[in-house]
Amino acid sequence: MRKQIVHLGLTLFVVGLVAAVGLGLTYTATSKRIAEQDRLSEAKAAVDALPGVKSPSDLVAEPALARKARKAVPEVRKVYTTGRGTIITVESKGYGGPMLTAVGIDRDGKVAGAASISNKETIGLGSKALEPEFLKQFNGKDARSGIEAGRDIQAVTGATITSKAVVKQVRAALKAYSRIQ
Amino acid sequence: MEQKTTAWHEFSKGFVLENPLMKLMVGLCSSLAVSNRVENGIFMGIAVTFVLVFSNVIIASIRKRIPDQIRIPIFIVVIASFVTIVDLSMKAYFPAVYARLGVWIPLIVVNCIILARAEGYAYKNTVFNSFMDGLGMGIGYTCVLLIMGFIRELLGTGSIVMFNTRLVSLGPFNAPAIFILFPGAFLTFGCLMALLQRYEMRKKAALEVKKGAMAGTPAASEEVA
Repeated sequence: MRKQIVHLGLTLFVVGLVAAVGLGLTYTATSKRIAEQDRLSEAKAAVDALPGVKSPSDLVAEPALARKARKAVPEVRKVYTTGRGTIITVESKGYGGPMLTAVGIDRDGKVAGAASISNKETIGLGSKALEPEFLKQFNGKDARSGIEAGRDIQAVTGATITSKAVVKQVRAALKAYSRIQ
Repeated sequence: MEQKTTAWHEFSKGFVLENPLMKLMVGLCSSLAVSNRVENGIFMGIAVTFVLVFSNVIIASIRKRIPDQIRIPIFIVVIASFVTIVDLSMKAYFPAVYARLGVWIPLIVVNCIILARAEGYAYKNTVFNSFMDGLGMGIGYTCVLLIMGFIRELLGTGSIVMFNTRLVSLGPFNAPAIFILFPGAFLTFGCLMALLQRYEMRKKAALEVKKGAMAGTPAASEEVA
């Protein structure tokens, strides 16, 4: 009886050990690339959010400003500055889960663009409120505009929740921007 | 009708005869969720086929060393390892697709198709036959995803977009988005099942008529039925 238990335990142990080694190797082989991809997708959206910025290398990450902005607006994740303005990434809940959005603000404090970095919105419905067609409505708005879905921004039919969430994100970015000036 | 256990039979039975989705009806949840685009179907199909083939082969090759009492935990460890390998590789090399398939890739671990093949087939058969079985089941699964993806994407968005190029377009019309949402999955799947049933009923009827003609008396076929 005892011998059998030891045998079962040992078998499971060996299987687990082989699996762990295999997974460890895969992880080492892919972790660098995964981190790189995450950084790239964020940088790409950040560039899309501020017209005129050509490559992610023009962006300067500002962790100190981000910390300052987060005190007033907890949704702020990162702040980048360039010669053309500021990019603020904001994370909040959408319809399907967390949405991370980059908002570009030009040097006059007006929204220059916005782009989704990652989201889990329903493809074909909520996702329409993260496409350039919808997002370009924010261009030129500033902190004094008091952006409101339905009044200033035409919400996407069938994607009211996502539309409103994006409006809130842009408002949050503008508020954060005014705090770090 | 005698069952031939040739390699070809093991391979091809997953297409129609024992198609995991249409006949065995396992692993439906994720397939209904990801079949809203052809491109998703391709990648999900490749991921599931990879896991199926490798878990089948590994389990078949160590099946004589696995004690009966702990076979399920061992199956799960093997399956989960391959799913994690797929998960990490896809995240590293196809981030855009990974973002869309999202949670469904890690959930392949609990996909009934894979555990069912491990327990029901690979645990009792040779390595080669298990390889054929996994490959056939995987291809059968992928084909259903592709058919469903084609119907749903075409009707739901009005065009088929693959690898950033528009392949087919229905022209400008207001596509009913319901087809790429969950109700569309059920509608499409139901219609496909009905079509397959109709085809098989006709085939069976034709076979019976043939048998009856061979026996010479139509009553004989009725008895069989």
